[in-house]
Amino acid sequence: MRGTRVGRKATGLIGIAAAAALALSACAGGGSTPPTAELSEDPVTLRFTWWGNDVRTAATEDVIAAFEAEYPNITIQPQFTDFGGYWDKLATETAANDSPDIIQMDEKYISTYGGRGALLALNELGDAIDLSEFPDSAISTGTMDGALYGIPVGLTSYSMMANPVLLAAAGVAMPDDESWTWDDLSEAGAAVSASGGGNVFGVQSWGFSDGDLKNFARQHGEDLYNDEGEVSVSVETLTEWWTYLKGMTTSGVTPPPSSTVEKQNAGLAESFTATNTAAFGPWWNSQLTALTDASGTPMELLRIPTTADAEEGSAYYKPSMYWSVSSRTEYPAEAALFLDYMLNTEEAADLLGTDRGVSANEKIRAYIEPNLSETDKAVVAFLDDLADVVGDAPALTPPGGSAVDSLLKQYTEQVLFGQATPAQAAEGFIKDLSASIAAA
Amino acid sequence: MTDTQTRPAADQAKHLPDVRSGPVARGNRKALKRASGRSTRKAVLKHIMLTLTGLVMLYPVLWLVVSSLRPTDEIFRNPGLVISNLEFSNYSDGWTTLSSPFSVFLLNSTLVVVGCIVGNLVSCSMAAYAFARLKFSGKRGWFVVMLTTIMLPIHVIIVPQYIMFSQLGWVNTFIPLILPKILATDAFFVFLMVQFIRGIPRELDEAARLDGCGHPRIFAQIMLPLMTPALATTAIFTFIWTWNDFFSQLLYLTKPEMYTVPLALRAFMDATSATSWGPLFAMSVVSLIPIFLIFLFGQRFLIAGISTTGGK
Amino acid sequence: MSALGELRTIGHRKVAGSSKEKNENKAAYLFLLPWFLGLAIITVGPMLASLYLSFTKYNLLQPPEIIGFGNFERMLGDERLHNSLGVTFVYVFVSVPVQLGLALALAVVLNRGLRGLSFYRSVFYLPSLLGSSVAIAVLWKQVFGTQGLVNVFIGLFGAEGHGWISDPSTALSTLIILNVWTFGAPMVIFLAGLRQVPQMYLEAAEVDGASKWQRFLRITLPLLTPIIFFNLVLQIIHAFQSFTQAFIISGGNGGPADSTLFYTLYLYNRGFANFDMGYASAMAWFLLLIIGVFTAINFWASKYWVFYDD
Repeated sequence: MRGTRVGRKATGLIGIAAAAALALSACAGGGSTPPTAELSEDPVTLRFTWWGNDVRTAATEDVIAAFEAEYPNITIQPQFTDFGGYWDKLATETAANDSPDIIQMDEKYISTYGGRGALLALNELGDAIDLSEFPDSAISTGTMDGALYGIPVGLTSYSMMANPVLLAAAGVAMPDDESWTWDDLSEAGAAVSASGGGNVFGVQSWGFSDGDLKNFARQHGEDLYNDEGEVSVSVETLTEWWTYLKGMTTSGVTPPPSSTVEKQNAGLAESFTATNTAAFGPWWNSQLTALTDASGTPMELLRIPTTADAEEGSAYYKPSMYWSVSSRTEYPAEAALFLDYMLNTEEAADLLGTDRGVSANEKIRAYIEPNLSETDKAVVAFLDDLADVVGDAPALTPPGGSAVDSLLKQYTEQVLFGQATPAQAAEGFIKDLSASIAAA
Repeated sequence: MTDTQTRPAADQAKHLPDVRSGPVARGNRKALKRASGRSTRKAVLKHIMLTLTGLVMLYPVLWLVVSSLRPTDEIFRNPGLVISNLEFSNYSDGWTTLSSPFSVFLLNSTLVVVGCIVGNLVSCSMAAYAFARLKFSGKRGWFVVMLTTIMLPIHVIIVPQYIMFSQLGWVNTFIPLILPKILATDAFFVFLMVQFIRGIPRELDEAARLDGCGHPRIFAQIMLPLMTPALATTAIFTFIWTWNDFFSQLLYLTKPEMYTVPLALRAFMDATSATSWGPLFAMSVVSLIPIFLIFLFGQRFLIAGISTTGGK
Repeated sequence: MSALGELRTIGHRKVAGSSKEKNENKAAYLFLLPWFLGLAIITVGPMLASLYLSFTKYNLLQPPEIIGFGNFERMLGDERLHNSLGVTFVYVFVSVPVQLGLALALAVVLNRGLRGLSFYRSVFYLPSLLGSSVAIAVLWKQVFGTQGLVNVFIGLFGAEGHGWISDPSTALSTLIILNVWTFGAPMVIFLAGLRQVPQMYLEAAEVDGASKWQRFLRITLPLLTPIIFFNLVLQIIHAFQSFTQAFIISGGNGGPADSTLFYTLYLYNRGFANFDMGYASAMAWFLLLIIGVFTAINFWASKYWVFYDD
């Protein structure tokens, strides 16, 4: 609050900027008013925003229709975009006090939004949302300083998608993912690339998502962030990570850098995995259904390779995404009602499938398992199998850490194109990410 | 730098070999006939060169138009401009791909454009009249301020402006896009009109002044009708700039139903993940048609406008 | 007379009389009312506010907190910012001279009593109107893509294609080409200028036996220098502020490997995607400073090469 006073005084000096100053100090008012959790009888319209592909959009619209049929006075207005455009837009809308009521939130942003008062503390709504079937470990991933800013929708884990058709064509056996190492991956990949004749590659490049890095860091006994919210991965580990990728690219196991960049920008449907042009690709395991649909090939889920002397418990469950409610919503009760519907009813579970990850609600998970499609079953089975090797969830991404993906992309591209050595990239990355966090 | 407005028109016409205009052009043609075969060959060569340059420049645009009429899978296999069978489905598909039909975005863009044009015409002409015809204290200083704002990058003001409009609850309305025009912040046009008014003989308004006309009447009844060419230039440039504008619309319009054409195209690009180029191209063509029509019918004013002030 | 000419000469103009009529004074301020309001609310107010914000840490959701020169110190150590400056400088100082050179060359060719002038002028001018649209950026992305038009043509000659936009060593060039493509607007200005070169000077020189090239170099070009200067200043200011094309073509992130990260794009990303509004404001003021410095250098250097006839 000290900042507020100084701010007001200084702006007051600039007479002509009065209008803007007014605007600035109005922001200071912030803070959430205690929500009235009374359901209204009158027509209510809620805005609901998410990112995702066509499959997810269709499923979500079905759930909205089912909910509206049950509660005719509530209208849900959908608003969806791709992941990239989503955050720019949410940022400007939030700044303009115009954010949607129900927000699909990501782990990278939840502390940024929650810590700055943009999200409603859902635990203050009482029992409007039934969380009894959610394990504490899941709830804790959406909690910051005692406030529940997001309810984890589903769990997911990082995995290596393998294309059995391409492997068979190259005469490569499906690796045993309980014991395989990074060397095994590059060997198998090299064999696929060799027989692919420049059209099919062994491995789709990684280095564009924090999931890639977090798994590798944890195998080396580190983590991307520590509990204090600082960048804690070491230069050595990052250097090793990029050196390995660079080696794979020079030897032709991964596609040429410019193809990688082009496909990377074009989204899931154009990826090497989805177009059957790479035998292995790193993805979140919940993307299995979308990738199988897009490629027409039954993909297999493999665990991430490790090193021979890797740390135990390097794999982890990540909340695929959260449901959050804007702190400025006029209708907290209705928003809670809708979340409760999506999280706890069997109708919603049937419609939503596992596209947003395997439900963290244990009762729902038990309910849907028998009815799932083949791929969805595989997604659940993968997570179940992982249960005895996963470690604790990593520390939440600190405010300002949301820049991580754009920084990773930039430095990975520099390494791939030979504009920076892995060591230079490692140092630059740590410096830039730390600066972004410090500035938040 | 000499003032283009004050030079006699005849003097300019002498150097303007327009084939359509009477005796001058005919004279040129005769001169050409008289010229030796060598210089005719040279002229032909020049024409070939210019036509080729023009073709290279317009090729991408022509290809865009042609491709929008081809099935998507043919687009990248065919660099030529010949269409074997017309495929209009790209247009019907593209029209309805986003959550609202494309007509909504065209309408939104039109509303913004009309608001901006009206705003610029009224406010800039008023300011220009004051700067060109009236004496007032501090006139020179304010004029310099006005000229300087032409060169101010928008980035210096965009953050506080955004905060101000968002606190007023005007995000996702057209007000932040139109209000600045109503307040004559496009100093470029004020300058353009000042230049134009300076070229209008003072006797006209002085006569009216002696008849006891006040400034509002002189402005509305004498100046405005005489200023028609400058107003047309302003309207046309405002149309094109606003229609193409992306940055401020990107900031202020976030709801899909409020999207203007450029935002819709961008959303289209994201939504289709590079698989349906046909519809995307078709909608790109649709978005360029108004610009092209304006260019076709308003060229005279455009050329006059940039010759005077250097606008784009 | 252009805005620049006006600024240059305004110093030596005499003030015409004193305001003898209070009436006229009042009328003038009434006519200027919208403009004054705009200046205060839309331009100067926000300018001062952004100056203030540039000394604060401000994330939009919480009140700004004064940190002195913190943002400017951070800019000194921000390598992405330095890189974005480099990208912007290359863009400005390659594309503007090439664009103006092409514009001048074609204006000269068109000016020499050629038939169909207005047709050619239209053809060359059209891209200037389209160039800043999203549709053309979309098109560019395709023309220079791996499967794009350029590669198809290269393929006809048996050469290997190239991902022009996805390779950091060529991505910026595609944007430069796009800017050069819009040479029509300065060309029209050159044409207007060429028409004002007094014909009698040229005729006199011809009588004296000067060759075409000599006449161009000794007479036309010097008389054209004010127009060249005018175009140069405007196009440089304009190029420094480019945003849309890089935003669309790189998908908003200035990639690959930050090779198309224009200064304005980085500013947008810091401010509006990362909630770093104090820093973005500091960056905006730095941009103003850069543009101011280059414009001042331009005006200063113009003493040595721009020839004024008046």
